[in-house]
Amino acid sequence: MTISTLPGDTPEEGGAVGTTVRRKEDGRLVTGHGRYVSDLRLPGMRQVAFLRSPYGHARLRRIDASAARTADGVDGVFTGDSAEIAAVGLRALSALPSYIETEQPVLARAKVRFAGEAVAAVVAGDRYQAEDAIELIDVDYEPLPATVCAWAEPEVPVHDEAPDNVLLQRTFEAGDVPETMAGAYLVLERELVTNRHAGNPMECRAGVALWDYADNRLTFWSGTQVPHLARNMLAELVGLPEGNVRVIAPDVGGGFGTKAVLYPEDVALCLMARAMRGVPLKWVEDRSEHLLAATHARDHRYLMRAGFAEDGRLLALEADVTCNVGAYSVYPWTAGIEPLMAGGLLTGPYRLGHYRCTVRGVATNTSPSGPYRGVARPASVFAMETVLDEAAHELGMDAVDIRRRNLITVGDVPYRMPTRLIDESGRYGECLDKVLDSIGYDGFRAEQARRREAGENPIGVGFACYNELTGLGRAAAAGPRMAFRTGHDACTVRINPDGRVTVLSGVTSQGQGLETTIAQVVADAVGVAYDDVDVRIGDTTESLWGFGAFSSRQAVIGGGAAHRAGEAVRGRVLALAAALFEVEEAKLKLEAGRVHIIGVRDELATLAELARVAYLESNRLPDGFEPGLEATRFYDPIRGAFAAGVQAAIVEVDRATGEMAILRWACVEDTGRVINPQIVHGQVAGAIVQGIGGALYEHLVYDEAGNLTTGTLMDYLMPTSAEIPELDIGHIEVPADNPLGVRGVGEGGTLGPNAVLAGAVADALGVRISRLPITPAVVWEAVQ
Amino acid sequence: MKVGFTVNGEAVSMEVEPRTTLADALREGLGLTGTHLGCEQGVCGACTILLDGRPIRACLMFAVQASGCSVTTVEGMAAEDGTLHPLQRAFCDQHGLQCGFCTPGMLMSALHLLHRETSPTRRRIREELSGNICRCTGYASIVDAVQAAAEEMAAGMDDAAPTEVTGGTT
Repeated sequence: MTISTLPGDTPEEGGAVGTTVRRKEDGRLVTGHGRYVSDLRLPGMRQVAFLRSPYGHARLRRIDASAARTADGVDGVFTGDSAEIAAVGLRALSALPSYIETEQPVLARAKVRFAGEAVAAVVAGDRYQAEDAIELIDVDYEPLPATVCAWAEPEVPVHDEAPDNVLLQRTFEAGDVPETMAGAYLVLERELVTNRHAGNPMECRAGVALWDYADNRLTFWSGTQVPHLARNMLAELVGLPEGNVRVIAPDVGGGFGTKAVLYPEDVALCLMARAMRGVPLKWVEDRSEHLLAATHARDHRYLMRAGFAEDGRLLALEADVTCNVGAYSVYPWTAGIEPLMAGGLLTGPYRLGHYRCTVRGVATNTSPSGPYRGVARPASVFAMETVLDEAAHELGMDAVDIRRRNLITVGDVPYRMPTRLIDESGRYGECLDKVLDSIGYDGFRAEQARRREAGENPIGVGFACYNELTGLGRAAAAGPRMAFRTGHDACTVRINPDGRVTVLSGVTSQGQGLETTIAQVVADAVGVAYDDVDVRIGDTTESLWGFGAFSSRQAVIGGGAAHRAGEAVRGRVLALAAALFEVEEAKLKLEAGRVHIIGVRDELATLAELARVAYLESNRLPDGFEPGLEATRFYDPIRGAFAAGVQAAIVEVDRATGEMAILRWACVEDTGRVINPQIVHGQVAGAIVQGIGGALYEHLVYDEAGNLTTGTLMDYLMPTSAEIPELDIGHIEVPADNPLGVRGVGEGGTLGPNAVLAGAVADALGVRISRLPITPAVVWEAVQ
Repeated sequence: MKVGFTVNGEAVSMEVEPRTTLADALREGLGLTGTHLGCEQGVCGACTILLDGRPIRACLMFAVQASGCSVTTVEGMAAEDGTLHPLQRAFCDQHGLQCGFCTPGMLMSALHLLHRETSPTRRRIREELSGNICRCTGYASIVDAVQAAAEEMAAGMDDAAPTEVTGGTT
């Protein structure tokens, strides 16, 4: 089967960047020939199943695995006290002064800290046998009181090191909040609580670990978003030279941050593989395990106090943010990932001089919180926008006017936020204008009033303005002063002896289509057709370095590296052609795989002819010209690229049932220069729909004893095609300051829906929405 | 025990345990890994296949229950020469997939719909696909793809036979 470009989008005519080329991934994915970790079969492979704690908090008194060890097909049983396992623990590091370092065991030792924590592992011939054997393991637990709420006093702390369960606390401060607040015309105080939910990719976690029998080498196939980081961490944890560890992330069925974590199960697989050299060990998680033990997110409380001037100007903001970080400081991102993002970006795209915000990460007996698309900001945007809506209400202003009064404008940029981040986008007003136009805001208020008069079901409008911080370079790197700084990626571009291009890129893809977009970038940078570029990603032996998929960074950073490497190779080709044909290099051009003299139609040589010389005909190589055509380049944007975004929706509420119908939804973001319009659109649409899921349906609920009561997809509801409205997605393209002019687009869409839907229901019914998700029951109660 | 059925037009016979699910028999026994397992609880729809032309969750059925039946999986959609089914093509054209994990189940559900209805409305498509969860696309592009395929298949029926799908589809 050939994968070619769509009609009318022939890259040769004007470059591949900016066009909707057909995705390189799709041919295998639509025919059932994808290569996911769960599809991998190796000779002699054995299956792993984990025994998981049924208690939220309990002392582990004794584990008796003798019956399991002799069960049918069982090759091995491991517990936290097994020598191979006990030697290693995960300690997420941070240099933040208040940070309390704690350890996450690979398999639980001494006590279990959340329901679902892995307690033992069985290796068997097939998954059925492994699960049978799991049931034969007898564990003696002594239950302890569990803490599931991060703003409740713990009876027994999760970790002895933190008696109050607080693992990290930090205060952001700018200006003079007390004095400014004292002089404010209006001071609002609100408590807002967001709902624990999760990325929940369609493919659960999976891994295959193989420790070579004779060579001291580890290969780990994993659905990870961060293969190079995983290699680095695994090498250190298992004590191998980094060159002896290979991490391969083949096709991955969604990640959304959930797979940017190195999990204890991953490390357990590798350690068990060391104990069983030469035997490939495979673990494929099921959904029950995933809901219990993959990372959760967004379980936050915001205590907001905001001072406004009479004209609606936001003068001062004081906030206290508590994030439930779960039982362990997530490896390697730490318990700081959500609280620090919440405090750092709470003020969003609004001008503010006086800000004081204390954030804390609090351990509880729940699954650890980790990175999830939008990290903290779907919650913090909800808090900020709710405060603006209520201030507008109190001041008798329109919801749009109060936002316009406070939004950072083009004239303000580069704008230094109170947390010292630099917003260089500033196009919020333009995005807002387009969104208002799209939802038909002009006629909305009249229709709203008409319905009220007529006693029909009420309608309401909600808004969210946000700034997505994307492509963070070394100067703006997110994260709580971890042991690594995530600014750069590398890319190698190689022209093969046949003139086709192979790209070894450090990016990874969990559905974002990076094989495609990196090929588009390289095709243009080198001067070849899109179809002549193959991109290989996700294998640490092939690409030099990439931090992976998080913080909407790969188009900016991995794309930048691909562009730079492509340009460097083109330079090599032109230098070779110049020497061979005795033409000045500056007069040459490489386009569509052919070298021309600029202005002359006929080519001097094809790229294939030149590549042949570079590799196979050294007799023709100019003096001093290094054989081969390849270049490797890094790129680090130093700062990040902010992407402005605005969303709005009109909803109709059924007063009798509390049900809500979304009538209109619009989103406009500053995407920077677009590499692939269809992929950008897909990223924004998918992100919005995840946001809608979090706002309306998705809720991971623990009971007081620490049991997850939403442990299947029948209890944890994700939106389907039947609930989701048609979305009107637009964008503006203001080039960012990086080689391609791009801005990240992966996460921004998730930032709006909480605020939009809460605001719309509040507007429709004249009620306050202080807790998420906004279920029909919540709406119905608000109406009563 | 031994079980025999037809998969994508070919008769197969295999040894399974009574408890082996049809999904595991297809994936592990026959190496047809296009059928994906997203929840093993019958909710997400990723493992949807056609059994005697009707969509079923392969994770909720035992392999032995398929005895004598005709199974169609995503691997059976393209023609033997590799020509993609209009639905597969439309999913590519309309960006109806991102990570591709839900795609085989989506394609099966969409195929079943288009076997029964030649020009479903967007609302119908959304209803019919509501048993398949996609976490990436936000669904609109999937609806676009099914609509586009329906149009192409309807146009194709006017002048030629539709692309044949192997297996006992109705």
